[in-house]
Parts: sequence; structure tokens; C-alpha cells
Amino acid sequence: MTATVADMDDITPIEQYGLIGDTRTAALVAPDGAIDWLCVPSFDGEPVFASLVGGTGGGRFRLGPAGAATVVARRYRPESATLETVWDCAGGRLTLTDGMVAEVAGRLLPTTMLVRRLRATGAPIGITLHFEPRFGEGRRWPRTEQRGELLFCGWRRLALSVQTTPALAIEPGRPVTAVVSPDRPLTTVVCFAEGEPLVHAPPTAAWDALEADEARWRQWCREITEDVPRRTAVVRSLLTLRLLTYSPTGAPVAAPTTSLPEQLGGVRNWDYRYAWPRDASIGIGAFLGVGKNNEAHRFMAWLLNATRLDRPRLPVLFNLHGRRPHPDHRVDGWPGYAHSPPVRTGNDAANQRQLDGYGWVLDAAWLLTEAGCPLYAETWRAMAGFADTVASQWRETDAGIWEVRGGEKHHLHSKLMAWLALDRALRIAAGRRTAPRRTGRWRQQRDAIAADIRARGFDRDLGSYTRSYGSRDLDAALLILPLLGIEPADSRRIEGTIKAIRRLLGAGGPLLYRYPPGDDGLPGAESAFIACSFWLVQALARTGQRGEALSLFDELVDLGGPLGLYPEEIDPVSHRGLGNFPQALSHATLVQAALALRDAYRPDPAHR
Amino acid sequence: MVDWAGWALFGVVATVLLTCIMIAAQMTGLTRLDLPLLLGTIVTPDPDRARVAGFFIHLVMGQVYALGYALVFAVLHRATWWLGAILGLLHVTIALTALVPLLAGVSPRIASYRAGPGSRAVLEPPGLLGLNYGLRTPAATVAAHLVYGIALGLLLTPG
Repeated sequence: MTATVADMDDITPIEQYGLIGDTRTAALVAPDGAIDWLCVPSFDGEPVFASLVGGTGGGRFRLGPAGAATVVARRYRPESATLETVWDCAGGRLTLTDGMVAEVAGRLLPTTMLVRRLRATGAPIGITLHFEPRFGEGRRWPRTEQRGELLFCGWRRLALSVQTTPALAIEPGRPVTAVVSPDRPLTTVVCFAEGEPLVHAPPTAAWDALEADEARWRQWCREITEDVPRRTAVVRSLLTLRLLTYSPTGAPVAAPTTSLPEQLGGVRNWDYRYAWPRDASIGIGAFLGVGKNNEAHRFMAWLLNATRLDRPRLPVLFNLHGRRPHPDHRVDGWPGYAHSPPVRTGNDAANQRQLDGYGWVLDAAWLLTEAGCPLYAETWRAMAGFADTVASQWRETDAGIWEVRGGEKHHLHSKLMAWLALDRALRIAAGRRTAPRRTGRWRQQRDAIAADIRARGFDRDLGSYTRSYGSRDLDAALLILPLLGIEPADSRRIEGTIKAIRRLLGAGGPLLYRYPPGDDGLPGAESAFIACSFWLVQALARTGQRGEALSLFDELVDLGGPLGLYPEEIDPVSHRGLGNFPQALSHATLVQAALALRDAYRPDPAHR
Repeated sequence: MVDWAGWALFGVVATVLLTCIMIAAQMTGLTRLDLPLLLGTIVTPDPDRARVAGFFIHLVMGQVYALGYALVFAVLHRATWWLGAILGLLHVTIALTALVPLLAGVSPRIASYRAGPGSRAVLEPPGLLGLNYGLRTPAATVAAHLVYGIALGLLLTPG
């Protein structure tokens, strides 16, 4: 049976989860203090806590009040990745602090370390600790062994230890109760090891490491430029993007979760623990815009490493190590979030052809060049190869940015991005030695794309560009039109397209559907797509409607809730989050929207 | 008696052969393993310059390994293609299971699995058997080292 929004009272809404992470993997913490999702040792590893989509037997780690309590605050410590949940309990308050230690290089610390501390104020408070690790698709119980004050749990390649100070007798699957007094917090540490010796960190040392990490995150955030609107939301988005970037390779995962449904009871449940070149490219623009050039360089380096075997073709997505993802696989017996199966691992979108990726990547390369970061010769060779591919393939159909399963079409957004790819290649080539014959071909094909788009992609009755050639549907991805330069941002065609998208794809307030709901070859419908709303803010800011852009941006930021995290979609009626969470694309477009607003409000806007 | 003249000349020849096979494997899409790049980024971040520096570093390393081959041939009083191939297999086993994964500890630009937000390393870690650089990396590397060993077995004299 599938839950509806109405009977979801006992299910934690997606947007209420908090993210903690170490830039190698991440966990989701519910308001009741339960960690309902954690894969180890990496984002795409096997889950140890998976009740988010794996049901009651999926494994969880709850630490919180034993009795009735009300959540009175949930927040990140300022400019850090450390999460705090505060409960009002009878006679006092209980604060849970959660974090993972990101910086372990050069020290004898476990690669993955989860630190949790409960602190009581006002009065001693009864707490409960329910530790139930269940490994992998089979939700396997561990073999356990008490070793002094720590509990060891082992599977074949994976081992973990858990210890508390003051010591509690922990038994997997069985809740333990205790009393935390105001003068003595309870600190818990879980250390993980996969295929290597388990390094155990005592709770006090782990807490110190977490605090040192917190100071590093604050320093990282201080380096972000001050001149962006709603800076707190922008910083949270950038920090989330960094937490979702796998540090060993620089791969940006689209989200740390799999199969959070885009529609309750629907079939749009996908595994997002992979890296899309498109996300990396949007991330490059976001990080460059706030002065974080090192992060932008890392994304470009990842793109170069990951694409080396496939160039000049650009695959749609990669796993964390630049390899092709596994095909879609349904996990038997997992009920899914809110009883919305299937739970999938792997992603079949890897087999699709999507032409828009080239445009994003070449635009990112141009942004790097424009920011004064010259491309290495190898980088330029790769980019020029991509431009050649676009020049020869833009006339073909593709699956489009939304990875529609219903067959290939001449998606207008893909044609626009093909134009962008060649335009940006020409701009970069202007500052380098490139064969005139090659640039001549790019120029010729770029102009041919523009003519084709104008001739076949515009519907005079609608007064708007359309989703695909011959279609009368719209596509909110076309809101990037004023950002490209294919025609003046104040042209009547662009103005008409923005108006038509708002009229026909509007979902109330600042929300937009990405295309007519359900028109993607799959049964059921879906909700408003957040990235499109941030593209709308950008479009309005770039077309001189900055007041309205700012107003919409404020509304969207408020939709992010107290933790400032965004899923992929939002239900337009209940404003509940849907889809994988938190989603990198939502956060990257939030930053891009803030940058567009910043530029719009400058005395002399620096348009691209 | 070690074949010193042969070592000096044919060590270079065998290493160049090995490097060419690895580059060809990379160019044909078999692997993303780029030994000159990995070695050269120890001294410079520019990939093109790194490849030049790495080529020479690899040449020196190849020469050192060739000395090991020459010593074994001298001790056994025998230098044949199959003995070279056996040594090549031993060599590649050590390279893939120990040397390549250990590179992350030597090069400041190769990340480790423990890399965090402060890491400035932009090259992904090769992993066991270099599998992070493509599933066919071990096969390409084994082939290149077999050719290296066979070349030395044929060209060096047992002394």
C-alpha cells in the first residue's frame, strides 16, 4: 500500500532530514534523532543505515529523548556541517549534535567516523540509544563482539565499532536507555573500515576532531564572497555542494540517496549517487562566481579524468571513479520511502544520448578562461574534441536534459546547448592558436543551429519557443535562453517564452513544472522542479525584471526550510519535498540565481 | 657477470617499448592509466609538462628495474624470452599491487581515499590494480610488462 500526503504523519518528510557528511559519504538525520541513511565507505557504497527506503529492517541509529519531547530547533552550527537538534523535554532541553569528520588525512583516524553528542540543559533527561546497523541489500545483521567499552560489528569486508562516553552497554537492535545530566554529555562515536584495519577513535578524541573540522568549514565559508543576496542560503548551498563532492576523485554526486520518489506511489524512483558532467559544469560557474576557484578547478579536473576513455564523446553520467554505472537494478523486498517502491540501484540513463552536456561543459571551460584561469593544452584538446562532436551530431535526436524514457526527439534545449558549445568553443579559440578550418566549421555549424532553432523551434501562436521541434509543449529548461547570447535577452521571442512558461508550466507562487506533468513516457505525474524556479529567477534578473526576480528568489529561499536544504522537487500544494535529497542541481542553481541577482543589482551589471 | 653495456642500452629500449604500449592502450581507450602523467605531476601541475618530466622519470625507473633483470640473468646464467616474461609478470604484479597504489603517498597531486575538503590533489587515486583507471587497465599493464621482460630476455646476455 502506498502512503498519500494525508497519511504521512508517521513518516519523516524528506525536506526535514538534515545532511551530515565528510565529502566521501553522507548521512541523513531525522528530527527524532535517527540516522536513516548512510552508505559506507563512499556515497555509492552499501548502506549500513537504510530505513529511509529499506523499511523497519533497513537499519537505523536513533539517539534522542526517551520520553515525549518536542523539537524546538534544528539548525546547522553557523557556517559548518555540524547539525544540531534541540528537544523540549519535561523539565529541560536536550541537544543532539551530529557530524562526520571530513579531514582525516595525515592522522591515524578512521576514514569514516560518525560523531554524535547529547547534552542536557536545565535538568537530567532520559535518553534512548537504538543502534541497529544492517548491511547491504540483504539487510544483514552483523556478527558482534564486546571489546572492553566498545562494541565491534563485522561483516565480510566491513567492520565498525561503536563506543559511548560515559559507557553504555550497546546491543544491536535493542534500545538502551540512560539519563544524561547537564554536567556530563553523552558522546558516541562510530568508526568504519572497509577492507582495511579498523582504527578506533575514543569519543573524546572524535569530538575534538569534529570541532577542528568545524573550524575548517568556518574558514572555508569565510572565503566566500560577501556580496551575494541571501548569503546564508548561498553559503549553505555551496557547503552542501562541497559535501556532495567525493574528495578522492572530485566527482560531484547528484544526491546522496537513491529512490526517494518524485511522486508518492509513482515509478520515478532513481539512483542519484552518480556524477553528471552537467552538474559539475554548473558547479564550476557557481564556485567561480563566489571566489572558490579551487573547487571550480577540481570539477574541471574530474571532467578531464572521467571522460578520458570516451572522448570526444561525453557520457551522460559516471560513477565516482569515472566508470560507467551499473544498469538499473530493483532491490527485492525493500518497501521504499513511504511505501513507494521500487528501490533502485544503478542508472540506465548512462545508456542515453544527451547532447546538452557538451554545452554545459564548454560553457564552464569558457567561464574558467574568462576568470583568468587559462586552460592547459590537454584541457583545450578535450574541449575542442567535444566541439567537433557537437558540430557533427547536433542534427540528431536525443533524450534531452530530462532523460525522458519515451524515445528520442529534437529537443530544443539540446539544440540551444549545442549552439552554446560551439559559441563558447569559438570564444576560447579566439585566445589560442586553433586551425582556421576547424574554427570555420564550428562557426558555420553554430550559425546553422541558430537558424534551425529559429525556423523550427518557435511557435508563433504560443509566442514561445517549444519543447521540441513540431511540439506545442513547453519546457522550463528553456529559461536559460536569456543567459546564452543566442539572441538579445530583451528580444520578444525570449520575453514570450518566459511568459508562456510561467503561464503554462506555473505550479503556484515561484514553482514551475519542468514540462507538462507526466508527459515523459512514464505513468503518473510529478511535482514542481526546483532548479527550473531558480532558472526563472536568473531569466528575470537577466531581462531587467530584477525586483520580481528578487521577490521570487526570497520565496524560494524560504521554501528551503530551517536547514536550507532542497530536494529535486516540491509538491506545489503541501510544499513537501520529493525526489532525491539534497540535490546538487537545486543548490547549484540557487547559487547561480543569487549571482545573477548580484550582477543585476550592480551599477554596471557584468553580463556574460 | 652482469651485461653492463646491454643493460645501459637495452634497458632504455625496453622501457621505451613499455611506455609506447601504455600510451597506445590509453589512446585506444583501453585504460586511463597514464604513467608519465602520474609520475610527472610529482614535479609540475601542467599535464603536458608533467608527461615530459614523467617520461624521463619512468625511463630512469625502467633502467633501475632492468638492472634487476640483468642481475637475475647473471645469477641464473641464462637469458631467454620466457625467463624475461616470468620476470615481467613478477614485475607487473608488484607494480599493480604495490607501486601504483602507493603513488598516492608520494605525489602531492594524487588524492587518496582519505582525501578531505582540504585536499589540493586533483588526480584520482589509481586503486588496487589501477582499476579506477578502467577495467582493462590490468590487462594493458600486464601486456606492456610482458613485452618489457621478453625484450630484455632476448636482448641481454646472461653474462
